[in-house]
Parts: sequence; C-alpha cells; structure tokens
Amino acid sequence: MPTWFRSVLVFSLIYTFLVGVSALEKGIKIMGEDTQEALFSSVSNPIAGLCVGILGTVLVQSSSASTSVIVGLVATGGISVEAAVPMIMGANIGTTVTNTLVSLGHVRQSSEFKRAFAAATVHDFFNVMAVALLLPLELLTGVVSKTATWISDRLVGTAGTEWKSPVKAWVKKPVEWIVDVWEAVGLNGNVLGTTVVLTGLVIVLLSLTFITKNMRELVADRVEKSVNKVLGKGSGSVAMLLGLVITIAVQSSSITTSILIPLAAAGVLSLRNAYPVTLGANVGTTITALLAALAASVPEALTVGLAHTVFNVLGIALLYVPRFIRYVPVRLAEGLGEVAFSRPAWAVIYVMTAFIVLPLIGVGLFG
Amino acid sequence: MVMSFFSKRESGLDHIVARAVGMLGDARHSFDLATLALLTNTDTAAVEADIRATDERINNMEQQLRAELVVHVTVQGSTDIGSVLGMILLLKKIERIGDQATNVLDLAESGVRLAGEPDTEAMLAERGLISTMFGEAADLLYEPDVERTEEFTERVLAVIAEHRAKIESYLHSDRPGREVVPRAIYYRYLKRIVANLLGIVRTAAEPLPAANGPDDKDD
Repeated sequence: MPTWFRSVLVFSLIYTFLVGVSALEKGIKIMGEDTQEALFSSVSNPIAGLCVGILGTVLVQSSSASTSVIVGLVATGGISVEAAVPMIMGANIGTTVTNTLVSLGHVRQSSEFKRAFAAATVHDFFNVMAVALLLPLELLTGVVSKTATWISDRLVGTAGTEWKSPVKAWVKKPVEWIVDVWEAVGLNGNVLGTTVVLTGLVIVLLSLTFITKNMRELVADRVEKSVNKVLGKGSGSVAMLLGLVITIAVQSSSITTSILIPLAAAGVLSLRNAYPVTLGANVGTTITALLAALAASVPEALTVGLAHTVFNVLGIALLYVPRFIRYVPVRLAEGLGEVAFSRPAWAVIYVMTAFIVLPLIGVGLFG
Repeated sequence: MVMSFFSKRESGLDHIVARAVGMLGDARHSFDLATLALLTNTDTAAVEADIRATDERINNMEQQLRAELVVHVTVQGSTDIGSVLGMILLLKKIERIGDQATNVLDLAESGVRLAGEPDTEAMLAERGLISTMFGEAADLLYEPDVERTEEFTERVLAVIAEHRAKIESYLHSDRPGREVVPRAIYYRYLKRIVANLLGIVRTAAEPLPAANGPDDKDD
C-alpha cells in the first residue's frame, strides 16, 4: 500500500475513532441520569475503580482503548474526574498483561524465558509501585486530579462549562446518523442508549486496532532505527524519550513494550536498557486519551486524559529519577524471572492472579 | 539521538549491508597487513596491534549487526526472513576472514618468513589478486549482479582449485618440512579466505542456497 494512501487511511481512522468516542458519550446521555447512576455507582470506590480499570484493559488488551472509554464516560458526567483517576491507574496496570503474555511465548527456552519474563514484568512492577504510591496520595491530596485540572483549566477553561471543541462539531453528524439508524429499527430509551454505547465501543476498538496496525507499517523503519539506538549507547533519558516517541507514533504502548520482549529474550537488549523505554511508552500511550478528549464536550474529559499523563510523569519522577529506588522494579522483575525460570507454572499463576483474580476480588469486595 | 526517529538516513537491511561492506573493508586491511608481514621483511610487531584491533572491531561489528538483525525481524516481521538469515551467514563469513587474516599474522609471528624465496614474487602477486577480490566482493555485496557474480564465482573456484592442488603438492612433497609446511598452512588460510569471499558474494545474490557452498566444507 502506498505511504500516502496509508497516511490518509490513518487520518480517516483517527476521525472514526473520535466518532466512536463521541458515540459513547451520546449513548450514555440517552440512557438518562437514573441508569447512569445505577451503572457507575459501583466504581465510586477507588479500589473498585482501580480493579475495573485493570479488568477492562485486560479484556480489550489496550489501555488506549480503555482510557478513551473512560474519557467518554467522564464526558457524560456519569463519572467524576476523581472517580476516573483510579480507573486510569488500573488501565495502566492492565495494559502490561499484553507483553507479559508475549513473554510466555518463550516458555520452552528456559534462559530466554527468564529474560523475557523479567523484561515484561518490570513494566508490571513499575506500574504497581506507581499506583501503590500515587493512589493513596491522590486520595489524600488529589495530587493527580488537581494537577490535571490546573492544566486543563488553562487549556480549555473551567470544569462545569461547555467546551466548544472543534472536533466535537466535526464528529456530530456521524454520531447523529448512528443514533438515527438505531432509532429507525425501533430502538428507544435505555436499549437505544446501550446500543449506541456498544456501537461506539466497537468503533473505538476497531479503529484503534487499525490505527495501530497502519501506523506500525508507516513508522516501522523509524522504530527499527530508534530501537537500534537504544541497543547502542543511548542513556536512560534518551531511551525513555524514544519509547515515548515510538508509542505516540504507533498509538500503543503494548506494541512498543512487546517489541522489547523478543530482544530481551535473545539477549540483545538488557533489562536495564529496556526499562526506560517501557516508562517512555507509559507516557506515550496517554496521547490516545488526550485525542479522545478532543471529541468530548466538557473540560473534565480533557482533565482525565491529562490525569493519565500526569500520573505517569509523576510515577517516573518518584520512581525513576531518584537513583536509590530506580532499579527496584528491575530487581523485583529479575527475581520474578528467576522464579518463573525454575517453575514456569508460577508465571501463568502470576498472570492469572495479578490480572484477573485479584481485580475480580477487588471489584467483589469494594464494588 | 531522539531525533534519529525523524531522520531519513538508510535503515533496515540497507543500513546493515552498508556496515557489512565496511567490515569487509576492515577484513581486507587485516589481510593486506598480515600477508605483508609474512611475505616481506615487514616487522610483525609493527602491524600486530593494527591487525588485532581491526579483528576486534570486526567481531564487535558482527555482534552489533546481528543484534540489529534481531531488531529488524522483531519490528518488521518475518517478510524478509530469508535475507536476514543470509545476512547472519554473511556477517559470520566476514568475521571468519578477519580471524583467518589473524591466523596468517600468527604464522608470521611464529617465525615463518616467506620473503626472499624463489616463489615470493608469485605469492605477492597472488596476494594482490585476492586483495582485489575483496573489493569486487564489496561491490557485489552492495549491488548484487547476477552476471558479475557468475563471472566472479568462476574465477574464485579456479583459485580455490589451484590452492587445493598446491596444498596437495606440498603435503606430498619431498622438500624439507620447514619449507612446505608453512606454505601448506598459508595456502589453506588463503583458500578459506577466498572461499569465504565467494560465500559472501553468493549469499548477497541468493541468501539461502549459498549455505551449502564450497566455502563451508573446510570450516
């Protein structure tokens, strides 16, 4: 496929993605306040919100998709920014399941598996540590949501006002067509709202999948060059910036981090070199939620998108910048890699427990 | 460094081929110096550091390029896996030439001197011919050409046959061991070097079938 055509296709897919986010918002608005209240009351508890964020992201295998949905939900007013922040943190943890699953593909080569599993779980450990540190801080002081609100206020105005997003106007018509189509088949009320939400979800997931696929094709050569730089003499900050740039380009942190796994498994990339790339990818992936916020009509949507960015930047500031703590996630991942090396079944138990069982228990207890 | 993401310099296999051509240039440099040390009165100590440093540079570059090939497959997928496997083989052959040039130096360092002998001029001429073949191999690696590759292959096979015959004759010669053994060893190294050059050119033209080329028989 010619590059120009693929570029046009990507722009069309981004537009489709924004239509999907806007359809989500519209569908929930159609449902009415009572239904919204009933739907979202379960995530008002931060632990439940965190666990829903993990489970939702594991389900769709993409934090870009789940955070975009969260942005859409906040745009409807169904969820407050404060309630959405733990969900965003959960999405950050949930997205690491993809590269952990990729690492399981190396299970037959034990030494390769040890390196691959460690490279995958360093992302898990960093995100869990960041949540362990920042969620209590957020609950006590609102550091993440207040910082995001402060930035958002300066960019688009104060919360509670109507934000005249130009993108919102561009996507308005297609969203109306979606609603019209479902109304034409006789749907109304909550059924219509749910159907529009599901349509929006399908559009968001499909368009993100194809955006990622096409962007990967478009920038593959550049990604290859950048990864080679990381293999060479790149410093931690350079590796982090490259992780950020690659992830913004391919719109998926899972793509970036999953590229690192075979390289770590083959022994061509050390865990310490892969680690900062992962952190850059964490920040880079927040661009999608910011993009989704462009299709929303209230400043709170942008605030949530920014909260995702602020959370990841603060995580780096607290867990990577200070030298004494910088390599704790690396050492923990190496330890877990050793365990998985000696008993591969533990790797599977770890994935099931961390990404499914514990979040389900969390939702059950606190939801 | 981060800006490299936005730069337009060559990437992927083209970049690796360009670096492999550089490695071949280094291998030629080692070969020229090592054979000079053996066939003339050049002080081996004067060239030793250069040859060993060049060999180390070749080895490091091979490791780096192999890592870059792993990156290439990881990022781009397996569409050009044949070329990648061929390239790994090709890099190994260049690395071996570097080692074989060092073996020639080792021969000179062990006290063998073939300077001022009746066949020295012929050996020096042959050295020049093989050195030229390095240049041809580099050209064909950079720009594979079926006709030139065939013509190069014919010439290289003739040289290999000639070397094999020489080795045979030295092994069965009645001349003193101190005369024929160094020559037999030297020609064995030359034969391997030339065979590896052929392997490089054939792998560049056709990545996988060259795996069973004549160059692999002796290594």
